[in-house]
Order: sequence, then structure tokens, then C-alpha cells
Amino acid sequence: MIRCLMVLASLLSGLAPAAASAQPRIVQRVLGRPATPQQPVLVGIDALRADFLARSGADTIYFAADTAVLSVSARATLAAQAQWLRQHPEVAVRIEGHSDLSDTRDHALAVGARRAEEVRQYLLLMGVPAAQIAAVTMGKERPGPGRTVTVLVR
Amino acid sequence: MIKSAFVTFIAATLFAAPAAAQQAIPVIAIPPLSTPKDVPTKFGSTLQIAWQATQLIGSDLRSTAEVLALPPDQKDFYSYPEVTAPNYPKWRAAGVKGLLTGFVQARPDGRLAVGCYIYDVDNRRELGRIGFVVAADDWRRAAHKCSGLAYQHMVGAPGVFDTRIAYVARSGNGPNEVTRVAVMDSDGVHHRYVTPGGTRVLTPRLSPKGDRVAYVSFANGAPQVHVGDADGEGGAPVLPSSGASFSPRFSPDGNSLLLSAVTAGNTDIYLVDLRGGGARRLTSSPGIDTAASFSPDGSQILFESDRSGTQQVYVMNSDGSNQRRVSFGGGAFASPARSPDGEKIAFVRRGPEGRRIGTMKVDGSDVRLLTAGPSDEGPSWAASSRELIFQRTEGGRTGLYRVTLAGNEPRKVMVPQDGMDPDWSGVRE
Repeated sequence: MIRCLMVLASLLSGLAPAAASAQPRIVQRVLGRPATPQQPVLVGIDALRADFLARSGADTIYFAADTAVLSVSARATLAAQAQWLRQHPEVAVRIEGHSDLSDTRDHALAVGARRAEEVRQYLLLMGVPAAQIAAVTMGKERPGPGRTVTVLVR
Repeated sequence: MIKSAFVTFIAATLFAAPAAAQQAIPVIAIPPLSTPKDVPTKFGSTLQIAWQATQLIGSDLRSTAEVLALPPDQKDFYSYPEVTAPNYPKWRAAGVKGLLTGFVQARPDGRLAVGCYIYDVDNRRELGRIGFVVAADDWRRAAHKCSGLAYQHMVGAPGVFDTRIAYVARSGNGPNEVTRVAVMDSDGVHHRYVTPGGTRVLTPRLSPKGDRVAYVSFANGAPQVHVGDADGEGGAPVLPSSGASFSPRFSPDGNSLLLSAVTAGNTDIYLVDLRGGGARRLTSSPGIDTAASFSPDGSQILFESDRSGTQQVYVMNSDGSNQRRVSFGGGAFASPARSPDGEKIAFVRRGPEGRRIGTMKVDGSDVRLLTAGPSDEGPSWAASSRELIFQRTEGGRTGLYRVTLAGNEPRKVMVPQDGMDPDWSGVRE
């Protein structure tokens, strides 16, 4: 309870990155498809990722412990992401659901799947075609540096 | 502070055996195994093998808290006839309750005959015997079987000496992390890697016969249950779909696999026929149902579900019917596993003080916490039902530990790299 309040307070005061250490997260990786000739402005995957981040504000959605409920700020971020994705129908994203290190291994995978699906459903609701979105769970297995938010180049 | 705690831990580990001796632990003497004739083999003479086997039996029995094995002494040399005619008064005077004798004999075909006898010194009678013919380089298995004979008759439960441990070996950190499924004998010998290390793997589970291993692989980017041979051949996905699946456990007959699979974000438990009979869904609650495992007789399935709001232990019949909650203590209870003797359920309790390993009775009563945490998980039973192996995380490093139900300080299991997700097999046939 106290923890949830702290999370909420830090989100409201705009300190989400500082609160990252206490929160599980959703990372969205932007994956490129070959830029088509009709879209010469998209010169590379890095440019796409930078544009996605700049226009949607964040690639990370935060949850309270053991839940998959989208907060108000999470919905706002997802709405901005959805708008960007509708404008870039040639770009696919991969939603990775994560869970706390304090969780048990099997349950963490299930919680990550639940969160990833919640985010996927919200993007679908916002009009993003299903073919553009893949969702996977990473449980508490973190391939990148712990607790930072990254969009990894493949 | 951390250092002093570490020193205390080492001391507790070193002195565990003498402390246990105060509680009327049976004392076992192991005079050197005899040989009717000292014959050379490719792996040493029979007399040398007999002495090595004696020392291995001694270290096997000293690795448990339930018996106290006197260190083998070459001065106690037994002649071959004395193997079956023990000098009871001598051992009684030494305070010994159990006497383990045996022999190693070369056979004309190059193999070895190994026999062991366990005696009740107080009552001057034989309790049991065991004998094998093994290849000369396989005398360790025969020695482990002799250790098991002594343990079985002194403690009344199967020993863990002829068992295997599967686990995930982990090296490197962050992007350089490499995880591989590894299998070894429970004393650390015959260690080998089953998967090559290119993809992340989790939760290896041995089949009842120990010939196959089920595990989770991220080979295609998402977690999926694979089954392969325990020698590393042919790991392949169990389900045709590309959705997430995890938490595999073999049925007692080895023909089926329990696993958890995700549909539309919701995790439920399935029973998959490994002979091609398809998958059957056993749970359908909107909560997370996972971490399923069979009771030893195969009639029931334990699992965890958060359908009540927090993770709790549930049980159901093997067809999915009659699902009911078992755990009602404070906090969340996860990763249930039934003991081989059927008496207890091991679990991970998640609470304000972190993750701790404990046991409860099958009806959920008598909750006992065995470890202090705060980052313990993945309990797996020893064949004896007297001990558990689990994973402990400290400072970002993971290790395998054994803890007895008596609640002694956990002892670290030595493996070449960091260890995760241990699975302890039953006694090999």
C-alpha cells in the first residue's frame, strides 16, 4: 500500500526514471523493416527509434507490484505511441513484459505476459493494426542492464 | 558486517556434523572394503579400488546430517571372510550402531563384483545386503549404492547418493550472460552441459528415469518448453504454437509433461502427452495458474494460483477436477512441490522479509520456514524427503544450496559457475 502510494507520487511529480528501481516495467523495442522507397525520410532504424521516443515521450510503461493495471500516465504514453505507430505502418514493435526480481521465476513469466498483453490490447484499442505488434514476456530475465530503459539495436 | 556473517556461515557449515551428533544420530563404521585377491585392473588394483570406494562411502554418509559416519581407517582392515562375520563386540565397544562391510572382486571378464552388507551391531544381525557387477571404471556407482543401503537401514528413507542434479549454469553478466542446462551426479561428479549456451534457458527438469530433460528456452525470443535427451541431443519445442510456455514437470510415468501456457495474456496449466496425444487444459481461471507438479503417485497435481489475489498453493485431481486451496498462512505461497514420501509440501513464501523456503503438511497446516531468505526460490526435494535443494541469490550472484528439514544452516553445493533453478532426481534404477 505504502509502496503503491510512493509509486504514484513519484509518477505525478515527473520522477518516473528515479522510481524505476522500485517498479517493474514494460519495454517496447522498435524493430525496423526495410525502409520503403515511398518513405525516404526514414533513413535507418536508429532514426526511427529516436523519432518514436521523442514523439511518444517514453518507451517504458510502469506498473505497481504484481499488477497489470494501466495508470493514467501509462495510457497517455500508449496513446502517443499508438498515434506514432498509425503514422508509421511499416514499423513493427515488440512489447516485452517484465516482472520484479523479487518475484518467483514461473510467476514472473506469467506476470510479464499479462502486462505485455494489457499494453498490446490498449494499442489495438487505439487503432494500431495487430500485425504491427508482437508481445512477449521476459519474466524477470533481463537481457539489458538492470532497471534502465533501453531500446536495443539488433 | 557481510564478511563476519560469511565467516559465521562457514563455521556453522563445518560444525554441523558434531552438533547433530548430540541428538542420538546413529553412528556408522565403515571398515575398508575387502578383496579376496588383489588383482590389477585398468583403473587400479581391486585393493586400491576397494579403499577408494570405502572413502567415497564415508564421504557420502558424512554429507548427510542424519547419520554420523566414522572416518574410514585402514587399520580396521577386514579380511574377506570377516565381511560376512563381523566382530560385533569390537564395534559395540566403539559406540557403533551400524556396521557397513563389503568387498570388491575382479571377475574373469574384466568387470568387478561389488557387495555390501549392513549390520545392526546392538542386535548382532544383518539388516540388508546389496550386490552388483559393474565395469571397472563404474565402481563409484556401486559405492553410492552401498551408501544408500546403509542410509536406508539407519534412517528409514532412500539416500541421495545415486541421484542426479540438473540446474542452469550461469556465467557473465548483462549482455554477456551465458546460461546452459547442466546435469551432474549429486556429489558433483560427471558434470556436463546439455545445451550449448547461445540462448537463455531456465528451469531444467529431469524425467523420472533421468534420460530426458525438459527446460525453458528463449531460442525464438519468447520462453518455450523444450524436451531433449539428458546427454544434450535433440532439444525441441513441445508445443507447435509460438506462444509463451514455461514451468515444465514430467508425470511420474514420464509419458506426459505438465506446463504453463499463455493465452491472451492469461496463464493456465496444461498436460501434454509426449507420445503425440496432444495437450489438455487443466485450469481456466482468470488468475495466473502455474508451477504445477504431480504428487508421487500421480493422482494429484499441486500448483500455485493468484485467483484469490495473491499467490497461494492449490491442489487438484490429475484431470483438473476438484481444485481447492491448500495454503492459508500469512503472505504469498509459491512453487509448491510434494515430497517423495508424500508427507509434505515444500514452497517459497513471499512476504515482507523476502522469499524464504519452507514446508507444510499436505493439508496446509504446520507451516515451517527453513531458510532465512531474503532471495531464496525454486525448492526441489531430495529422494530422502529429508532435504531440499534450492537457489539463493546474494549480491547478484546465484548459487545452489541444500537445507535439511531439521533446519540446519544451508550448505552450498559446489558447481563450476553460478547455479540457478536446481532439480534433484530420484534414486536411479
